Amino acid sequence: MVVVLLPAVLAAEAGGRKRFEAEAATVGDALRSLPIADRVLDERGELRPLVNVYVDGTDARERGGLAAPLTGGETLRLVGAIAGG
Amino acid sequence: MTGVLVLVGTRKGLFLLEGDDERRAWRLEGPLLPGWSVFHAALDPRDGTIHAATNNEVYGATVHRSPDRGATWTRAEVLGLPEESGLTLEKTWHVEPGREGEDGRLWLGAAPGALFRTDDGGATWEPVEGILGHETRDRWYPGAGGLCCHSIQLDPGEPERMYVGISAAGVFRSDDGGETWTPANRGTAADFLPEPWVEVGQCVHKVLLHPGRPARLWQQNHCGVYRSDDRGETWERLEGNGLPSGFGFPLALDHRDPDAALVVPEEGAENRVTCNGRLGVYRTRDGGASWDLRTEGLPAPAWGAVMREGFASDRLDPPGVYLGTQSGSLFVSPDAGDTWLEAVSQLPPILSVEAAEWS
Repeated sequence: MVVVLLPAVLAAEAGGRKRFEAEAATVGDALRSLPIADRVLDERGELRPLVNVYVDGTDARERGGLAAPLTGGETLRLVGAIAGG
Repeated sequence: MTGVLVLVGTRKGLFLLEGDDERRAWRLEGPLLPGWSVFHAALDPRDGTIHAATNNEVYGATVHRSPDRGATWTRAEVLGLPEESGLTLEKTWHVEPGREGEDGRLWLGAAPGALFRTDDGGATWEPVEGILGHETRDRWYPGAGGLCCHSIQLDPGEPERMYVGISAAGVFRSDDGGETWTPANRGTAADFLPEPWVEVGQCVHKVLLHPGRPARLWQQNHCGVYRSDDRGETWERLEGNGLPSGFGFPLALDHRDPDAALVVPEEGAENRVTCNGRLGVYRTRDGGASWDLRTEGLPAPAWGAVMREGFASDRLDPPGVYLGTQSGSLFVSPDAGDTWLEAVSQLPPILSVEAAEWS
């Protein structure tokens, strides 16, 4: 089981809930299990370019992106890259 | 007692202003949908649901709806472009409720050059193939706001007839409920092209149909202000007599008078500020033959800008007119544009304004 932590805008979309738990073998599995999956993945299932996923503090893109394996016990933190004004 | 609910979409959430039919005092509520840029919001007169075209730089484009005037919101469940199109959804721009009797149907304009339809009140949206795969699409080019479908107009008397405006593709008309689409740009110029008289590629900024004379359309274009009296078959350019510039974005009509229209011109495409250092509304009451500048209650000096969705009118008599600026002020005219008052200031940059009546 992994823990997924959401930023404020996504938590509001998830009914105010900031913390989710998921049984997931990959980062993609964990994201697809969320009620806000459509906000972090586009209609092709790709990670939106300005969404960063940190797995225990490491950028998931450095670990294979959505295919990055999870063994259980990890904490995934979703962070929006700085954009706009 | 009747009144007006004004929906003000900003770059940082949605605000609601509620007032009575005097339209001089307003109660401000919001921001709703914090974190979302509200490109457009509309109240569906059929059931009171608010629908908002919402965008976030990080979390993408979607549509939110609220059945309870903004207390709770639900996001669209299915909204995207098919893989075979090679396109992905970039922005949502305009939500247009369907006609009375078309239960659950709404239309959504989006970028890149996309029109969607829902028949379940906004939960699932299907792309309209006749727009997505239009035979002229290889001659469409995005404007500064992307290849955005920003205008959707339904003919109130002909259930199969509707129009869209896409920048910079032009105006298209459907006579079969949205299945097939015919370019409707004859007489509108694309002055930025080497050959300005093209079938498609015009940079339409806003199109409105007059509800009392549906064959009449008004258009604010990148290159002029136009009127059509034949369902978009031909257009007449109008800004020769009284308008300081043909360039501008917003457009508003008077539901009582098909010959009336209001615009807020800007200096030009290369200097996008209101003309002559002031915020002024230009109004015609003779079909565009002449234009008068209305300034009472509007600020000067001012170098403002009003976005394409930042102008609206209500259906009361006389109609109220509502003007939101990128500087975060909402100006209201309770008398069809004669005089103006600032209803609220210091909002985030205003992207859209809509007015709905309540009783």
